[in-house]
Amino acid sequence: MFKKFIQKSRIKSPWLLHYDCSSCNGCDIEVLACLTPVYDIERFGIINVGNPFHADILLVTGTVNLRNRKVLVNLFDQMPNPKVVVAIGSCALSGGIFRETYNVLGGVDKVIPVDVYVPGCPAKPEAIIDGVVMGLDKFKGKNAEEKSHAG
Amino acid sequence: MVKEITAILIVFPFLAALCCYVFRSSTMRFFIVLTTGVVLAASAIFLIPMTPFSIAVPALPGLGIHGIIRILDFLLLFIILYFGFKHHSLVIIGIAAFQIVLLAYFEFFLIRGEAAVTTIYGDYLSLIMVLIISIVGSIICFQALAYMKNHEAHLQLTKTGQPRFFFVMILFLGAMNGLVLSNDMLIFYFFFEVTTLCSFLLIGHDKTETAIKNAVRALWMNSLGGAAFIVALVGIYHEIGTLELQRILISSTPAAGVYLLSLALLCFAAFTKSAQFPFQSWLLGAMVAPTPVSALLHSSTMVKVGVYLVLRLAPAMSNTFLSQCLACFGAFTFLSAAALAVGQSNGKKVLAYSTISNLGLIFACAGLNTSESILAAILLIIFHAVIKALLFLCVGTIEQHIVSRDIEDMRGLYATMPLTALISVMGVIMMIMPPFGVLLSKWMAMEAAARNLYAIVMIALGSALTVMYWARWAGTLMSDPFAGRFKPESQPILTWGALGSLCAGAGILSIAAPWLYRGMLIPALGKAYLPPFTVHNGILENVSGAFAVFPLSLVAAVGFIVAVWAVKRAAGARIVMPYLSGVQTTESAVFTGPMNRPVKAEAKNYYLSSIFGENRLTVWINLVAGVLLTLMVGGAL
Amino acid sequence: MMSNTVLVISGLVAGPLLGGLINGLDRIITARLQSRIGPPVLQPFYDVIKLLGKEKMVVNVWQAFCAYCYIAAASISLVMFFLRSDLLLILFIQAVGAVFLVIGALSSTSPFSQVGAHRELLQILSYEPLLVLVTVGVYLETGSFKIATVYAWSEPLLLKLPFLYLVLGYALTIKLRKSPFDLSTSHHAHQELVKGLLTDYSGPFLALTEIGHWFEIVLLLGFCSLFWATNWVGMMILVAVTYFLEILIDNVSARMNWRWMLGYVWAMGLSLSLVNLIWLYAG
Repeated sequence: MFKKFIQKSRIKSPWLLHYDCSSCNGCDIEVLACLTPVYDIERFGIINVGNPFHADILLVTGTVNLRNRKVLVNLFDQMPNPKVVVAIGSCALSGGIFRETYNVLGGVDKVIPVDVYVPGCPAKPEAIIDGVVMGLDKFKGKNAEEKSHAG
Repeated sequence: MVKEITAILIVFPFLAALCCYVFRSSTMRFFIVLTTGVVLAASAIFLIPMTPFSIAVPALPGLGIHGIIRILDFLLLFIILYFGFKHHSLVIIGIAAFQIVLLAYFEFFLIRGEAAVTTIYGDYLSLIMVLIISIVGSIICFQALAYMKNHEAHLQLTKTGQPRFFFVMILFLGAMNGLVLSNDMLIFYFFFEVTTLCSFLLIGHDKTETAIKNAVRALWMNSLGGAAFIVALVGIYHEIGTLELQRILISSTPAAGVYLLSLALLCFAAFTKSAQFPFQSWLLGAMVAPTPVSALLHSSTMVKVGVYLVLRLAPAMSNTFLSQCLACFGAFTFLSAAALAVGQSNGKKVLAYSTISNLGLIFACAGLNTSESILAAILLIIFHAVIKALLFLCVGTIEQHIVSRDIEDMRGLYATMPLTALISVMGVIMMIMPPFGVLLSKWMAMEAAARNLYAIVMIALGSALTVMYWARWAGTLMSDPFAGRFKPESQPILTWGALGSLCAGAGILSIAAPWLYRGMLIPALGKAYLPPFTVHNGILENVSGAFAVFPLSLVAAVGFIVAVWAVKRAAGARIVMPYLSGVQTTESAVFTGPMNRPVKAEAKNYYLSSIFGENRLTVWINLVAGVLLTLMVGGAL
Repeated sequence: MMSNTVLVISGLVAGPLLGGLINGLDRIITARLQSRIGPPVLQPFYDVIKLLGKEKMVVNVWQAFCAYCYIAAASISLVMFFLRSDLLLILFIQAVGAVFLVIGALSSTSPFSQVGAHRELLQILSYEPLLVLVTVGVYLETGSFKIATVYAWSEPLLLKLPFLYLVLGYALTIKLRKSPFDLSTSHHAHQELVKGLLTDYSGPFLALTEIGHWFEIVLLLGFCSLFWATNWVGMMILVAVTYFLEILIDNVSARMNWRWMLGYVWAMGLSLSLVNLIWLYAG
């Protein structure tokens, strides 16, 4: 019974960490737009905490390259379990239009396990919110002991 | 029986000191110090059921006790004069000469008759002081055995100075016992000057240039107090005709004119002894001495002489302008010393300013002169003596290990010296938190001061500043990111024994405060003050306030156990590096910087030296203190 | 004895429950002031329970110790308040928690924690003397530091201690971590030092600090309620208006720096207290 309570709370109170790998900031602006009164994601209890120690959901935008892969892994490791990763925008999914440049490694899932992919360039706020809510569904199945290590 | 025990408490240390000086082997010294400590502590404890008592010391054939003291007094003053010449200090020569002349005039021309006097009077206040001196003092001397060995090895001395060191330290214990037990003001004055001399000898022990300079400064400032003392004695004898403390206190002379001026001068002498502003520089300078000296003289015992004197005289000063000034002066010192401590990063200087601050609070309580404030003063004397000694010994131990006194160098000390760091943090917690004794006395002092607007504002501000510099230090000691297994470092048995007993002692005394109050402190308040609190279920209560000592201690103990259990459970948690914006490496506080090179992230404490710096504030504080002091002494006329 | 046990239990229960509800209302009102809708009222409880269910992760085992000490001190001070004990003592017990929070933050080497901890110390330095002076004002008026005396007093304290209530307001703003005094850590996403003091706390230990904060909110609002203790309706109105003003001030101010905070709070706080205390003393 207590487990159900905790599960319900996890769904009702997802805290975000938003990391921009090296995006053009288009997707980032759309993410921030979600916080504005127009979309107001705090209705769902979502807060943008800037600190992996406090976060449940990692929103990643931008391309992963040789410089920022370690940062992404560090941030992912510093988030306590259970956690969800949402990759936003085509750059995060697969490298986008920068896929063939020399320093781009490809999508976020080359470095850390991704749970939800939100396509778009930039992704619309409605799609981002949808993606986060879909990520919350994962909390229904996960428990705190499951360790997701970075690849 | 009482006579024998008192004789042991006062005379035995003088003989033991002589033995320390004569027998130069370190094993002999070890046994002499250990025996002296145990004998003194036991005698003090045996004295408890015999209090109160008074003794008229029998005359030796030919000379009365006064004769002996007279000779020793002049001898002492000539020794001080000699040191004045040796160190080319005109000030000391001047003051010592003044004292010799005045004392001679006083002794030979003014004093009439050798009436039988009560030389020694022990009430509960003296008993408390004797217990502190004998028990805390002995513990410090025990730790000094281990400390000095290390100290001299560090300085690579070829000829050991320890015989001289322990000679003065043990002699000092005897002098302090004599001081707090004496009823005759001239004998009090003699022991007062002995402690001045001991302080001078111990500060200059290492014989470096700074040490000697600071020792000379201490000598002249304390001698200034001695000079004021003698002038005050002349005044009192002139007005009342006796130098017996108990008779002075019950005299019905109205507190005005020459008599009040004499009392004010005695307060002045107390201020120089207790390093209040503007005389604080000698105590700050005295921090160059080996740490046991700082612990014994400059926090637990010698500086308490000043507050002891003023507490004794408090009933005679009630309802006077002098008392009001004393309260404001004490509160001002409490505030300004706390402000100066905020701006310090040198550990021993922080402790020194904290001592001055707490002494100021005791003076303020004496000045407020209600039964609640006097009780607060006595409690603060007890708890401050024990805990400050503990903290000084901790700093001494830490200093020997890391060869630095700076708080910044003690950052993360838990990694290398876990047990010492823990004991230091415990000491800090006992200084600032309920239900421990120092906070109990601070609470009591605030409740007593609430009707005096000047005092309460300054005490409130000072108290907040106190929290700042102590919490900062405690946090810095624990600033170690990795949670490994707790493995206590190795230290000599004497050190662990000293630190552990002081720490445990402070804790037990705090919890036992209500019973201490009923057993010793109500009698210590004497006939002049009604008991300010009733005790039930370990709660101190009266009409305007209540402090639930025992229930809170119980709850705190339970909370502590729960917290320790939480730590044990957290040992199974995942350990991560602190957050450094994602660029942390596997080493603590190191991140990947420009050009992919590791950079250490450094954070230092806020010392706010632009506001609370010593060089900024001291001038103004001394000015205000000088004004308040003039107001106090002049207003007595 | 029985009534004391009831009071203790209600204190321990009221802290989290009332504190959480007030926190929830705070977030809704803040949102409405910002033309948003805001989370449901029970949101703080969901937050805390989620945090309690997270993986235990620490930088240093001291954080665990200090988080427990913080919540212990906060809850004990609220329980003492319910037991109508000595106000000055309650203040000192509450200060224990604040100090442990600082020590816990200082035990992490991250600069965000360190700077946050020092700012928190400066905040404590700003409000603690003022709280003592307000308590002294209560003593000068009622003749006692005990809360029981205040409840037995026949007229609302607000009449004789208006300026001291304003001073209490300053302390309340700092303690509630509202702008312009939310230097060391603040609610929601007002990041400047990431999360300042609380940066390196996570999971269950963060939950404990949050619940401890709720205890402190209830304690301070209780302190405010003492100023109109004669009448339940008056008390509710006073506390509600005060809290709404706090939210309003939070939303219209920007965060200032510690120099301004220390200077302004001490200058205004000390002058207002002195005027009110002199009135009481002379009266």
